Parts: sequence; structure tokens; C-alpha cells
Amino acid sequence: MTDLSPITALGDAAPRQTSFGALTIQENAGLGLASLYLRKGQTAPAPFGMRLPEVSGAVQAGDYGAFWTGPGQWMIELPNRAEADVAALVLAEATEASVSEQTHGFVAFEITSKAGADPLEALLSKLIDIDTAALGPGRVVRTGLEHMTVFVIRRAEDRLAVLGMRSFAGALWHALETTCQRLESKT
Amino acid sequence: MTRLSGGLIDRNRPLKFTFNGTAYSGFAGDTLASALLANGVQLMGRSFKYHRPRGVFSAGSEEPNALVELREGARQEPNTRATVAELYDGLSARSQNHVGPLHRDLLAVNDLFSPFFAAGFYYKTFMWPRAFWEKLYEPLIRNAAGLGRLSMLPDPDSYDKGFLHCDLLVIGAGPAGLAAALTAGRAGARVILGDEDFHLGGRLLMESDLLDGAPAEAWVATVKAELESLPNVRIMTRTTVFGVYDHGIFGAVERVSDHLPEPGSTVRQTLWRITAKRSVLAAGATERHIPFADNDRPGIMLAGAMRAYANRWAASPVRQGNDAIAIFTNGDDGHRTARDLLAKGANLLGVIDTRKGAAAQGDYKVFDGAMVTGTKGRLGLRAIEITRDGQSSWHDAGALGVAGGWNPNVHLSSHHRGRPVWDEARLAFVPGQNGPAGMIPAGAAAGQGGTAQALASGAAGAIAALAEIGITAHPIALPTAKDASADQEAFWHVPGKRRAWVDFQNDVTVKDIKLAHQENMRPVEHLKRWTTLGMATDQGKTANVSALAVMAELTGKSLPETGTTIFRPPYTGVSLGVLGGGDTGKGFRPERLTPTHHWAKARGAEFVEVGPWMRAQYFPQAGERTWRETVDREVLAVRAGVGLCDVTTLGKIDVQGADAGEFLNRIYANMMGTLKVGMVRYGLMLREDGHLYDDGTCARLAEDHYVVTTTTANAGAVYRNMEFAHQCLWPDLDVQLISTTDAWAQIAVAGPKSRELLSRIVDGFDLSNEAFPFMACANLTVCGGLRARLFRISFSGELAYEIAVPARYGAALMERLMTRGQDLGATPYGTEALGVLRIEKGHAAGAELNGQTTAQMLGLGRMVSQKKDSIGAIMSRREGLAQEKRRLVGLKSLAPQTMAVSGAHLFEQGATRSMETDQGWVTSACYSPHLQGYIALAYLENGDARMGETLVAANPLEGTEVPVEVVSAHFIDPEGGRLRD
Repeated sequence: MTDLSPITALGDAAPRQTSFGALTIQENAGLGLASLYLRKGQTAPAPFGMRLPEVSGAVQAGDYGAFWTGPGQWMIELPNRAEADVAALVLAEATEASVSEQTHGFVAFEITSKAGADPLEALLSKLIDIDTAALGPGRVVRTGLEHMTVFVIRRAEDRLAVLGMRSFAGALWHALETTCQRLESKT
Repeated sequence: MTRLSGGLIDRNRPLKFTFNGTAYSGFAGDTLASALLANGVQLMGRSFKYHRPRGVFSAGSEEPNALVELREGARQEPNTRATVAELYDGLSARSQNHVGPLHRDLLAVNDLFSPFFAAGFYYKTFMWPRAFWEKLYEPLIRNAAGLGRLSMLPDPDSYDKGFLHCDLLVIGAGPAGLAAALTAGRAGARVILGDEDFHLGGRLLMESDLLDGAPAEAWVATVKAELESLPNVRIMTRTTVFGVYDHGIFGAVERVSDHLPEPGSTVRQTLWRITAKRSVLAAGATERHIPFADNDRPGIMLAGAMRAYANRWAASPVRQGNDAIAIFTNGDDGHRTARDLLAKGANLLGVIDTRKGAAAQGDYKVFDGAMVTGTKGRLGLRAIEITRDGQSSWHDAGALGVAGGWNPNVHLSSHHRGRPVWDEARLAFVPGQNGPAGMIPAGAAAGQGGTAQALASGAAGAIAALAEIGITAHPIALPTAKDASADQEAFWHVPGKRRAWVDFQNDVTVKDIKLAHQENMRPVEHLKRWTTLGMATDQGKTANVSALAVMAELTGKSLPETGTTIFRPPYTGVSLGVLGGGDTGKGFRPERLTPTHHWAKARGAEFVEVGPWMRAQYFPQAGERTWRETVDREVLAVRAGVGLCDVTTLGKIDVQGADAGEFLNRIYANMMGTLKVGMVRYGLMLREDGHLYDDGTCARLAEDHYVVTTTTANAGAVYRNMEFAHQCLWPDLDVQLISTTDAWAQIAVAGPKSRELLSRIVDGFDLSNEAFPFMACANLTVCGGLRARLFRISFSGELAYEIAVPARYGAALMERLMTRGQDLGATPYGTEALGVLRIEKGHAAGAELNGQTTAQMLGLGRMVSQKKDSIGAIMSRREGLAQEKRRLVGLKSLAPQTMAVSGAHLFEQGATRSMETDQGWVTSACYSPHLQGYIALAYLENGDARMGETLVAANPLEGTEVPVEVVSAHFIDPEGGRLRD
């Protein structure tokens, strides 16, 4: 076990959290991620017992999750396993596939609503150019947000995650915070 | 006061406001224009060119005259149309475009010189003497040009943006729009209903006609309540849909808080990008006027606007209650205004109708077959001249309504180059068939201006639009309504010798159009540019068709033969602030921060933008007076001990798969498939045309696993190009690509003591030259078990490594290296020192790989492998590129204190400075603390063979010349012993 101390993507010792009205943004610093990419001709494996989702799909099964990122490509989520060798864990479940460590390449912000879907969808309409009707629970989209590339995963009616590039964490946090703030002041 | 009875204003909510410093009061529901009229104020501004006194002309966004500077201080906004400025308590407005008080504008003298200011005068007047243009004419014109003043203060407000998606976008909430929205809403379609007004209802609110036997606003309220109850309908008032863009995308601005004194904690406006599967254009129509002599005096306005002010805002257009009002019309619509004004108790002089035999439609006098041929009243209308059968007579009048027919608001239907078509029966251009895909015009916008027609066509439009996307909508019960008579004759302007204004905002008269005709500026596009007709804030909404008609008369052609007007976005002015769409300052452009950013900031580093990245440029220490002192110290520290630099920004691409080696053979100019596992190779990438576009290292971690490193600037481009090659050129290869740039914090550890420093943190890893030679790479652990990748590569020319750890540990690793390397002189260095180190070593960077250079020019021509094909390889051997003689060389400045700047061109001593004698150019330059002098890298003709030659580096932009000596590009350790030790 290393004696070095990690910092969050926002440069802090602990994950950040803030609330605006019904919405709460929580930095998910513990999310382990690895990309899984099928080799040519390979059939999709079932890592951790999960059936890997179809186009634009996201699944969660117990302590694991997966979302579609491209043809034959997924990101595997291992919550609270950021310190583990996530790529090795995923590779053990999909020995034929190409797996790359992505835990530290992304920042994840989990956004929850205390008032159902409406505040979340109002927020989405200010952030990304996606028809919210097509982004129901279990759906994921890779899109642009304030000139940054993000994955937006609709985890549930009242929960979503925004995953952005780690180096953009501060700018992404600022964008989410500012938008939530404006929505709160309007309501 | 000239306030009438009735109206849709809330008399229980009086509002105070000022205009040119004078206090007035109005009511909630007023616009600034209606409130001013109700206070007897007719004079609201001055015209652009002649500074003629002007009053409000319309009751909507087409207003050409009543433009004001709204609000105070930093929020002052020029060219605000008083007709759409919603009144709020404390509103402050000032008229614009005058010197001195509004009623005594000193620049009204322009009007006296109007014969000299005819259309196109400036194309002729300011041609001589030529020297006067820059110093005299242009400043004069610039001073006179423009309307209103900017505050010159930063905009204190916030703006926002957003995205909406729907099945049907209904543009306009008049009778057609409401019927369309209700029809579609009941069918379950996702509907957005947008209107620029703050009330739903559109023209229904301005008319006295009944719907289902009751005032129209009752039906509007019922529909509004139902639409609000439907979860699939979004109502957006105060929202102007200003443009149609590709793929069903519409631009709209919501004025969130323009009706409030200040936005408070919310935004001022929101820019919405609406993606609609279908749209109904129910934008209504704009009334046109009939040009006649002196038709621009305050008190003269569109008859439909006069009716609107009376019915909706209970405001009379006259200065005093008893002043007479006249109507000048070419059709029945003018009589409609007369009837409504009479019902409001106005003193009606009568209706001047151009049609012979026209009869009164109420208890008022009709001057049939007559025209208005003149007016009087300096600051407001006092009298009009009526001419009938050649007999003229003057009549006192305080206001005159002009009704020349209605122009459908076809604007958005012509945004995709859709051409409106002329409808002879309606005497109007209506939307053509070739407008934006999926848009169905309805109501007055489609020439269906009667109330019953509009309701029916709106509902039918929605049904038809939804049917195209598989949604079945059913006809709804529409209220009973009648269509007012639209009978009119084609009467476009009153002939005469005096000036008759066509375009009020730009002071374009019938005479100007005649002059344009005379000067052969007859095509409509020439007419516009020659006369400025249709330009400026109103974009000629009340002028364009009338001007076409005048030109048609002059050319003897029909109106459609003369031309049509095509409109571009935006429909009305859109502020640049809202187009910016959200954040300002740093938030406008997202930044990328390196894993050690906060660590570097805490140490006082200066940062530099490298694309979106913020990189530490240098780390000043106490006592250092200039950046150069800092950089020199950092460079020498690397050469003498060990330096640390965050190089995370370099792109990292994971390449895996059975064919990864073959794939990289085709991507890189040199061979990568033969690279041994555990080794790194420098690689060049060529563009398809054979020029260099990126370089970097490629490490082989396993048989089927490589890590490609790109330059910071090209990280995205290389990844994109590799994806293209993988997906489109060679989909048969078993290759998987993914970016891992952000996942790994990478730190360059450079200098003769780098091995010693690293040996203190690695977990039992043999760093000896034998075990881990130059260009080796390995997975290992550091600091007690932290996963890491180590590459023995060098940009500085020293013994050097790059170590990568999970990004969240980057800052901690940097701190650990600093702590453990204290006795070794461990020094953080930034991009400036990095640049100096690589120039001293003769390594290429972006300045040498600028898209116009080749491998040969770098002296690396043999790296383009002949044994395989790769992108750009064949083209690099083509004639022209193969014979390229320029080579990378080093330059030493022979003037001790002077640097040859990057971009300077090289010439032989004594040669003239010309393209023919040009010998090359300087790519990178710096002060070398190691050599204690200025050095540079340059591309030079036959550079390899010119060592020791003296040349001149000329910078003609600044008039400087520096003598330089040609030397090897490798100023440091040309044999490369240091990095291999």
C-alpha cells in the first residue's frame, strides 16, 4: 500500500458536494472505471455477471455497472474501487478483450433530485442538447457540455451521473454549479 | 392624458417611468410606446440621416422610429423599440440620435441639406481629394453613423442558454398559433408555443371582434388555461424565434427579466436552441403604409397600430383628447380602424380612401378616390392635405393612420433561401413551397389573415404537420369568428415632387428609389445597398414591399418580376451577450488542469495557456527579478542535477489488438511493428500529403499493447485520425484504440541525477543502464506499491525518464520526488525551460512541425521507411518534396545581446531582401544559459553543408537584423552520450 495521498479531480482531499434546491451534486471520487473493447470477432463477455447493454444503454447490477460507449465498447463501473487495479479486475472477467484503466481519466459527478425527474430534466435542458425523453433511466449519452466531452448516465428517474475528463473537473464543476444555481434562483 | 376606456391594462397597478428625464405614469400591461402615447407624447426620436422628428409608427417589433436608449448606467441599451419594451416601475428611457434636446436637435440642419444627402451621396461626395478620406471624411462619417450610444461599461447581467426538443414548434400565439398549439396539444404531441409578446393572443388582443360572441381575450384565457394544464405543452412568452437553421433547429431568445427593473439573481435572457420535428409558422403579418409627401411626422402611424393602441392599450394617438384623427387607406382595413376609434369616442376627421366610390362603414365621413398629399406640423402632426379630383384642401388633424395592406411575416419561411411568392389576389408576398423543411405557414403569415381563416388554418396546419411524423391529431372545435373584409386596391404611393418616405429608419424616400433607378441600381439587391433601404434594426419590415412596388412602377415590370425580398436571421436584433450563451470570463472557455496544477500554484508558478491546458511556465523564486533569471536557473538545474516537469498534457493513446503493430506501421512513417516489448521508439507521423504533422514516442508494453504519445497540441487530432484510419481505412485490422491522456499523471525526471532520484522511490526495480537502457519502458510500482509506468526517454538531451502514475497521485508523486531529491538539487521546471532544453539539444517541436515541413528537412528523411507503406509515405517522395533542400540547423547569434527572433528570415550577408534571395527561416530561438548566448533553430537551404557560414536573420516587421553563425542543431552533447549513460 503506497504511502502517497491521492487528491480528488478537483484538487481536494475529500470529494465535494453541494445542493441547490432539490438538486444535489456529489463528486464520486471512488468510482473505479475501465474501458472494455471487444477484439475482432469476439462475442461480448458478461463481466461480473452483467449482460453488457445495447447502444446507448447503461446497466447496474449489484456493485457493478456498465454503459455503452461505442460499437463493441463499454465502460465498466466499479463503485468504491478507485484504489484497486480496476483494469486488472475487469480483464480477469473478460480475458479476451482489450481493457484499459480509466479510473483516473474521468471525474464523476452524481446528481440527485429530491423532487423527481422534473428538476433533473430542467437541468439537462440547460446543459446538453439531448431530447430528455430519449434519456430515461438506463440510458447514456456521450455529448458536449460547455465545449467539454461528457458521458451523461441516467441512473434513475431522479439520479444521473455526469462523467467528464479529469483535467476538466474544475470547469465541469463550475458549469454544473452555475446552472443549478440559476435554476434555483428562477424557481 | 389621452388614455381611453377599456384595454388590457391593469389600472390597479400604476407604474412610474421617465422619458428624457420627464416623469410619467402608465399601467401594468403597457409598453413604453403605449404609455407615452397615453401621456400625449408623440415625439419619440429623430431619424437617422436627416434628423427628422419622429413618433411611434407601429405597435410591434417592426418599429422603425421609436427607438430609445433604455435603462441607465451599464444596463443602458440603445435601439430598444419602445413598442415592445414592457413598462415596469422606474423605467427610464431617452430618445437618441440628436444633439441638444429632442425637440431642438442641432443636427436637424441635415434636413436643410437633404438635396446633398440623396441616396448614394457618400459614394460620390467623398472621392476627392483622396487624402481627405482617412483623416477627415471617415472620422466624420463614423461619428455620424449609428443610432444610440453604448454605455462603454461591462454588461453586468448574466445570460443563459438551453436546449429543447419537441414534435411541433408553433411560432406565434395569435389565433392561428393558439389553434395549432391546442390541436397538437390535445393530440398528445410535444408542443412548444413561442411568442415575442408577454400575452398570448397576438392580433386577437388588438381587435374588437368577438369570438363565440365574447371578447377574444376570454377565448385566449380559456385556451391558455388548457395549454398550461397539458404536460406535453410548453408555453414560452417573451420569446422570439429569430432564426431557422439546419436539421430542424430554431434559435429563440427568451427575455427572462427584461420586464423587470433588474434581473436580480436570475439571468437577463436565455438563448434556446430548439430542435423541432415540425413547425407551424404563425407569425402574423405586418401592415404596410402608403408613402406620400411628408408622411413621417410624429402622429402619423400605421392604422392597424392605431387600432391596437386603442383596443389593447386604451391609448389614443393624439397629443390632446380633442385632436382630430384621420385614416388614409387603400382598402377596407382602414375603415376597421375608423370604426374602432369611433367606438372609443375619438374625434374622427374621416377616412381618405383611394378607391373611387368607397363608402363609409360607420358614422364618419369618407373622402373616396382621394389621397393625402401633404402634412404640416414640425414636431407633431397638425394638418393634412387631402386631394380629390385635383382639388386640395387642408384639414386640422392630430394623428393620421395609414393602411396600405398587410405583408405576411414570411421571414422565417425564407431563412433557408425559401423564396416568397407573389399573391396577386392578396397583393402580398406569401411563403413559397421551398422554405425550411417541415415548416407549415398558417394564419396571417400564410395570407390567411381573417380571424376565422387564421383559426382554421392554424388547426389544419398542426394536423398536417403532425401527420407527417405519424401523430394523428383531430380537428378541434374552433370559436365562431368572422373574417373582416380584406378588400383593397393596388395603390402603392402618392405621386408628387416632395419627399415621401418609404423606409423611415434609414430616411429612404420615393425620390431615392427613383435615383437608384436612374443610376441603374435596379435589381433589388442593388437597390438595397445603394439606398440602405431595409437595413438597420428594423430590417425594413414596414418598407421593403412598398419599395419594390415603387421600383416596379419605375421599371414598368410587375412586382414579382422586379424582385422579392429574402430575409436572413435574426428576425429581430439579438444581443451578442445572449449569443455568447452563458458564462463569461474564465468560465467562457473551459480549462484543463494538470494533476500537479494546484501543487504548482501553491509554489507560485506562472501558467501559460497551451490549447485548453494551463501549464506551469516557470517557477519564480524570491530574489529573481525577471522570468529569464528563473528560466536560466531551471535549465542549469536540469543540466547539473535533476529537474521535474509535469508532461501529462502529452496525448496518450492505448493501442491494443492482434494487429496493433501492423496498424502503427501504417500510421507512423517509421517501423513500429518490430519494436521490442519493453522498448520505446521515437516516431514521425505524416499527413496524407507527405508533410510532417506530429511526432512522439511509442512504447510497447506487450505483444498486443502499445502506448502512443503525441504532442500536446495534436493529442485530439492524432486520436481522431487514428480512429478514422481504423474505422474507415483498415476496418479489417484487429485494433482497439482509447485515449488515456487524463488517466496518467506523467512527470519528466531529467538530469544527470535523475536515476539516483528515481532509485529512491521505485520498489525494487533495477534502473541500471544494463537493466533499463535508453528507450526502455516498464510497468512497475513506486512509493510502496503504487502502480506506475516508467519510460527512459529524453527531450532535454540529459539522462532522463518519464514516470506515469494514476492521475490522482500525480501531485503527491511530484512532492515526494521534490522531497527525496532535495540533496540532488531537484528543481521543478516549466514549459519555458523545457523549450530552452530542447532547443539546446536540437529537438523538434511545434515550431519545426508547422505543417509545411518534412522529415528530410528535420534530417530524418531515412525514418520514412521504404520497407512498408504508411500514411503520407508515397507523397513524401514526390517531386518537390523529395528535392527539398532546406535542413534544420543551429544558429548562434554573433551579436551578444541580440536574439534572432522566431520567424526571422535568413539571407546571405549583403544580399537584397527578397523571396529570391531568401535562404530559410528561424523556427525557435532562446537564450541558452549553458552556452551563455542566444541560439536558434532554423531551416536553411543546403543547411547541412553550410556549417560555420555567417548569415543575417532579418525581421523586416521590426526592422531588425542579427548576424548569425550556422552551427549544428545539437548545441548540447551531439553524440548523445548523456542520455545513454
